Amino acid sequence: MRVGVLQENLAKALSVVGRAVSSRSTMPVLGNILLEARDNQLRLAATNLEIGVNCWIGAIVEDEGAITVPARLLVDFVGNLPPERVDMELSVRTQTLNLRCLKIEANLKGIDAAEFPHIPTVSEQNGPGLMDSGDGVAIELESNGLRRMVDQVVFAASSDDSRPTLTGVEVTFHNSRITMAATDGYRLSLRSAPVESALPDDKMVVIVPAKSLAEFARISADADENQPVQVLVTQSRNQILFQIWGRNQEGKGGSFHRVELASQLIDARFPDYHAIIPKTHTTRTVVDTAAFLKAVRLAILFARDNANIVRLRINPANGAANGQLSLTATSAEVGDSVNDIDALVEGNDLEIAFNGKYLIDVLSQIEQPQVLLETTQPTRPGTLRPVGMGEDEFLHVVMPMHPSR
Amino acid sequence: MSIPRKIIHLDLDAFFCAVEELRDPALAGKAFAVGGPPESRGVVASCSYPARRLGIHSAMPMARAVRLCPQLIIVPARHGAYSAVSRQVMARLHALTPQVEQISIDEAFLDVGDHGEPAEAIARQLQTAIRAELSLPCSLGVASNKLVAKIANNVGKAAARGDSPPNAILAVPPGEEAAFLAPLPAEALWGVGPRTAERLAALGIHTIGDIARWAEADLVRRFGKHGADLSRHARGIDDRPIVVEHERKSVSQETTFSRDVSDRALLEQTLTGQAQDVSRILRKQQLAGTTVKLKLRWADFTTLTRQTTLPQPIDDAATILATVRTLLARTWQGQPVRLIGVGVSGFAEEGARQMSLWEQPDARTERLSEVVQALRSRYGEQALRRGSDLGAAPLR
Repeated sequence: MRVGVLQENLAKALSVVGRAVSSRSTMPVLGNILLEARDNQLRLAATNLEIGVNCWIGAIVEDEGAITVPARLLVDFVGNLPPERVDMELSVRTQTLNLRCLKIEANLKGIDAAEFPHIPTVSEQNGPGLMDSGDGVAIELESNGLRRMVDQVVFAASSDDSRPTLTGVEVTFHNSRITMAATDGYRLSLRSAPVESALPDDKMVVIVPAKSLAEFARISADADENQPVQVLVTQSRNQILFQIWGRNQEGKGGSFHRVELASQLIDARFPDYHAIIPKTHTTRTVVDTAAFLKAVRLAILFARDNANIVRLRINPANGAANGQLSLTATSAEVGDSVNDIDALVEGNDLEIAFNGKYLIDVLSQIEQPQVLLETTQPTRPGTLRPVGMGEDEFLHVVMPMHPSR
Repeated sequence: MSIPRKIIHLDLDAFFCAVEELRDPALAGKAFAVGGPPESRGVVASCSYPARRLGIHSAMPMARAVRLCPQLIIVPARHGAYSAVSRQVMARLHALTPQVEQISIDEAFLDVGDHGEPAEAIARQLQTAIRAELSLPCSLGVASNKLVAKIANNVGKAAARGDSPPNAILAVPPGEEAAFLAPLPAEALWGVGPRTAERLAALGIHTIGDIARWAEADLVRRFGKHGADLSRHARGIDDRPIVVEHERKSVSQETTFSRDVSDRALLEQTLTGQAQDVSRILRKQQLAGTTVKLKLRWADFTTLTRQTTLPQPIDDAATILATVRTLLARTWQGQPVRLIGVGVSGFAEEGARQMSLWEQPDARTERLSEVVQALRSRYGEQALRRGSDLGAAPLR
């Protein structure tokens, strides 16, 4: 293998695949990144067997070939190189990769590429007639929209591996819509949008690990917005693949041609969340999203030593006084804080306590200037959604903290 | 010389019996004992002063107590009621000073150094108030340290004779500690058990005064570090401060198996029961914690703990169980387990807890748990057990 690439592109590709590297595995090759030179592209790949990422960048290939080298060392080494051409050459006999950049030279001892696990790709699955054959299901989705959807639900998934189902996001394709739902048992984030491309006739539901979707969202921040993302669910319904197209312009920060992300699906039944979505409310509060977010960020400075408890006091307009949302947080050690923000309040006054971190998580994902909070009682769930979006488009349900007893 | 401290030791007289007499005044003046029935190998938890006069004492097998006094009235223990009354007593002590160290359900030390009045006067007011407001007898010892205050209380109570509670108060003025202790038998000193007493007697040491006169260096040579404590205590010296009771830091349950267990199903079944117990205690005490702990002890007594910190405080059995099962899966590789336990700690202030979306307070489960708790507090923890626990229960 003999190949030349730009340092920026190589560094970008390493950042794309880097998080899929297995940090602690009994298989040493999983701690490595695969480099494969072929067809005037360099493919970089990493996998922890749950998620696998392939990234192709432009390259000048003089001799085709492949090797795996330790991820940590390669990432740190390339990250410190100047933005110039990097030449790599493999000594097949010793399985050592020689890297040169200007006057810098290094030799990295690798592991044979043949030991690296196979990561499925859309291109190999996409045999003729697949879209109609029912073998797998392939869907094209708008890249930017899909990324925003993921960002708005993925934070609500559980990070607790003892509840594996809740570490996933339920993704449903049905009636020309895609719907995503995530819950950690304390809050639920629901997002739905129309899909323009053809969908299978039958409803399709899969549970995608939240980590994989978060990785998709991170990578697709560098995607070409004009090119759709291909999403493919394999025939056996145990894997989901994403194909993301790069911006393909040589420029600062580097770029990739194409990325494919493959993830295992979670084989479980997602809890039925429809029953826990409140059907009614007794207090309806409309407030400026940025002001609300800022107020919670201030409150949590005091709340973080005390289970992040942020108390909301909601007061409807009274005579000349505007409606108000008042946030308080108290810590025995640090002190306390109160913050009043103007709000449009309809209905009863109410005091309710939430985990401030949960409020920050959802408010920071709302782009609309105003947010609607609907509540009933201090021990019943509250719902949040951006003003201007329907309940069927974006809905966040959050359980309060039980009031002090 | 620093200003002497003002320490009070308070002990509720025959506490369980006093509470039972409040419930049933007809018991007053009768020989009765609180505890388990003789036919189920019950023991005397507490006995009335008339019963004591017949030679019955606490920790005695009930069967033997009945042989000593065939008319003995046996009253089943109601631990819930005793705890409730104890809390009322302790609340009165805390109202007097924050410097309260509760030793047990019926015993506490107080440091009343911040009060201008003499400690003996404060002790008398306390005794009067507890009798007037709670109708409970108590005895108090007053001294410049915990050791002498406690011994003074014992001496004061022992001096009282008769069928009524001692209601004793004995104060040892500062500077007279050693003189007060000197005539008492060596066993009256903390840390002098039957074995130490025997070894002391072999040296011709019978009273605390004998210990105080003995060369400290020689006691250290014979008894090690314990010898130094003996010597100091015998001279009435004790610098230990009042350890103000801390808030509860954790709730846990442990099971020692009668035979080491290598069966995963049995371990998980035990964890299930423990998670339910811990959850019940947490809810009762209105606590919720973020840290869940698994404790394991192998056959060779190696003990290890593994814990997980959750993003929000929890108190429900399902989450506790799911978390310890994950910890067990990571830690246990089939080796025989001698002891297994579950704990929750990391409590938030105010006992606030994150509620769950699927939280459905199940009225039947809550009622069942209340009934089980009531039965256990009346007849003891062993009175009612899950059938699934019987295989794992320690042999008694």
